[in-house]
Amino acid sequence: MGKKKSVALIVVITIVLVALIFISVATFAIPSTVKIFNSLLSTVDLGTDLGGGYYTVYYPDGVISQDEYEMIRVQYEEAKNEGEDLNAYDNPEDYTKYKGVYLSDEITDEDGKVTESFQAEFDSAFQALQKRFEQKGFVDYSVKLQDDYTVLVQIPYTNESASDLFDQFAYSGSLIFSDTAEGTASKNVLLEGDSRYVKKASAAGNAESGYAVAVHFTKEGQSKFAEITGELVENASSSSTDGSAATAQLYLYVGSELLMSVQVDSAWDSDVVYISGSFETRESAETIACVINSTLDENNVFDLKLDASQIYRLSPTMGENAATILAIAIGVLILAMIVYSLVRYKGMGLAHVYGFLTYALIFILCISLIGGVYINMEGLMAIVLSAAIMVSLNWYAFKNIREEFATGKTLTAAIKAGYKRSLALTIDLHLVLLLASVVLMLISTGTVHFMAFVFLMGTVISAACTLAVTRFYFYMFLAQPKNKIAFCNFKREETEDE
Amino acid sequence: MSKTVSKKSLLLYLAISLVVILVGAILFGVFGFNADSTVKDYTVIEVSDSGYMSLQDKFRTDLDDLCKAEIEKSGLKIKEDSYIESTSVGGILSYTVTGEGAEAFVSELQTAIGNSQIEGVNDASVIVTYHEVENAPHYEYIWRTAIGAAVVLVILFVYVAIRFNVGMGVTSFVAALHDVIVTLAIVALLRIPAGVGLIGVAAITLLLSAFLNLMVFGKMRKDFRLEERKGMPARDAVALSVKESTKTILTAIVLLAAFVVVFGVIGVIIGFDMASFMLGMLMALVVTTYSSLFLSPAIYAAIKERSDANRAEKAKYNYDSEKKRQKEAKTAERTAKEVKTTDEA
Repeated sequence: MGKKKSVALIVVITIVLVALIFISVATFAIPSTVKIFNSLLSTVDLGTDLGGGYYTVYYPDGVISQDEYEMIRVQYEEAKNEGEDLNAYDNPEDYTKYKGVYLSDEITDEDGKVTESFQAEFDSAFQALQKRFEQKGFVDYSVKLQDDYTVLVQIPYTNESASDLFDQFAYSGSLIFSDTAEGTASKNVLLEGDSRYVKKASAAGNAESGYAVAVHFTKEGQSKFAEITGELVENASSSSTDGSAATAQLYLYVGSELLMSVQVDSAWDSDVVYISGSFETRESAETIACVINSTLDENNVFDLKLDASQIYRLSPTMGENAATILAIAIGVLILAMIVYSLVRYKGMGLAHVYGFLTYALIFILCISLIGGVYINMEGLMAIVLSAAIMVSLNWYAFKNIREEFATGKTLTAAIKAGYKRSLALTIDLHLVLLLASVVLMLISTGTVHFMAFVFLMGTVISAACTLAVTRFYFYMFLAQPKNKIAFCNFKREETEDE
Repeated sequence: MSKTVSKKSLLLYLAISLVVILVGAILFGVFGFNADSTVKDYTVIEVSDSGYMSLQDKFRTDLDDLCKAEIEKSGLKIKEDSYIESTSVGGILSYTVTGEGAEAFVSELQTAIGNSQIEGVNDASVIVTYHEVENAPHYEYIWRTAIGAAVVLVILFVYVAIRFNVGMGVTSFVAALHDVIVTLAIVALLRIPAGVGLIGVAAITLLLSAFLNLMVFGKMRKDFRLEERKGMPARDAVALSVKESTKTILTAIVLLAAFVVVFGVIGVIIGFDMASFMLGMLMALVVTTYSSLFLSPAIYAAIKERSDANRAEKAKYNYDSEKKRQKEAKTAERTAKEVKTTDEA
């Protein structure tokens, strides 16, 4: 590489790296506007351990909180004092205190214990809730029993409305396809949405075309669905008087709760039906898909009404400001690594620093811009491991170059031979780790799924930066110094001729 | 010959691992893992109001101080405390406590708050409740990760067997499995608090083990092709390669350990769960380093010694079969002569 070309490249690359570092860490007001530019790092989605989230408590019918009990008691006392008809009010004496909640007489027997039927219903509801939150695929979440008869749920911050999510996951009853509009108590069931007819549901679409829920039918379900949609349109056209194209509305309910509705204009004979609904984000479509999927297993169908009226913001479980403090610590440690590299390897160290910064900035771009990436403690450790692999393999290549140079080769030959010596291991390592992370990502769920995804990205970026980018930077810097050997911190031992 | 890869050393390593695994398994069987706060059952005392706390910082601080003092006075111990804000209205002061009598204490605290001189306490309609929270583990996540890890082990074996050799494939399979199990056993043995994150630690151990073992095997693969190493006894050749790759391995481990230790220290200051997670990670680093520098070279040296011996045996010139062939040829010649003589007669 020529000196002029090298200088130009160094300047351009340095400017790009500095600019990327700036937008990665700096949050600033955009001049002449009221808008604020958020740093890339601040837009990274975090798990509940580093970023906090939401939590709620589901109260089943017949179980009330102390707040609610106090309200009932006060209202009853006031009504009693004012001589009103007490039948219109809940009597606080109908409730028995149990741990931190109050149980209604309707669900307890004479001994004050909950009835077997309530216990069975509650167990079923609890299992279904666990299933729904598990299927949702949060990076970390917890579904716990509180006071034996309520359910405490914690989730990380999400792009959809937490209130809608908690409400929809509480829907009880089985899935039905109906032509009865919302608000009518009795629903006309056109098709029962069980595993005989529906295989699964999934989220589909993108931000441009809009999001939808794809309902996948079995063969039997497909023909049955074609039949009911055909009948719906036929009925609509027979009742249509103005001659316009007949359309009918088809509703999907879980129990009495409307999931979504769709306008039908012909018999739909397809194994997959896309129902667009009004989903603002992919996550909200996924939530509905999870509810549908859980109802396909009859063990997860429950009738108990669950109420999650209060939603709270949860602090990071690893401690307040955990993410910021860790980010600062990582920055300091990277700085230490950079100093060590420069002192130990001089010119090669400089190439490594540029290579590492490129790696780190591409990584930041990926985790902040690619949707569905969440960072929690395990994800952070995956980043650290991938960075350590990248650094180790660069230093391994430098060590090989040093060894090759010590055999008496010229610097250029030593660099070529050194990289050649480390090439096979670098490729093998990255390939094995790539395969391992792909497998873990595809098979596992939750934390390990997200950790493997982050590690997969790290491995790909590390491979590119170790095999190509750092080497390119090395040649770029090597074009500058007069004494290239000293630049690389090498010494040629002089041997005296006899 | 290096002592670190001798047969005796291998037996010693295996014995150490076996003891650690057995003791860890027994402790796990009897007590399970020492649950951290994310999976532990706990009792919480909550002080909520209708929104006054979120508006009046002084009111909240005064109420918080009073509650803490009363809880300590009652003999209960506060493990964690936080202020949780509702997305709509209201807030909760939450105290995770240990000790007996939390249920009975709730009414005492309610009375103490009512009798307090905190400004605004009458308008805030403060309610004190207590809850018992029981963890409900989700096993699907655990068994799916276990299946994933098993597939990774098989892939590791196949890849290393093809790209390196079968002996190294077997060794990296055994070492990775060993590392994951021993790390979990040590976490159980040392009663390191562990939660859902422990599965993540196990997965990272697997990846780290693959990385470190391949670093050592990469060096061996390169070294064993050198002419001067070809004639060396298997154990010496393995020991020499391990010695030469120790620095590279330790550099990578020191780099990782620096992060883990710093994160752990931060954890001690801001939240103990992070510290216990990092303690688990530190165990993973120690186990994988030990395994890549001692156990797996010793296993591979034993395999290589056997395979070298087999190869030498096959390559040996077979004098017995040569003698037999000569004898058979002479017999055939004699028979032919006899037949010829008979014909002439």
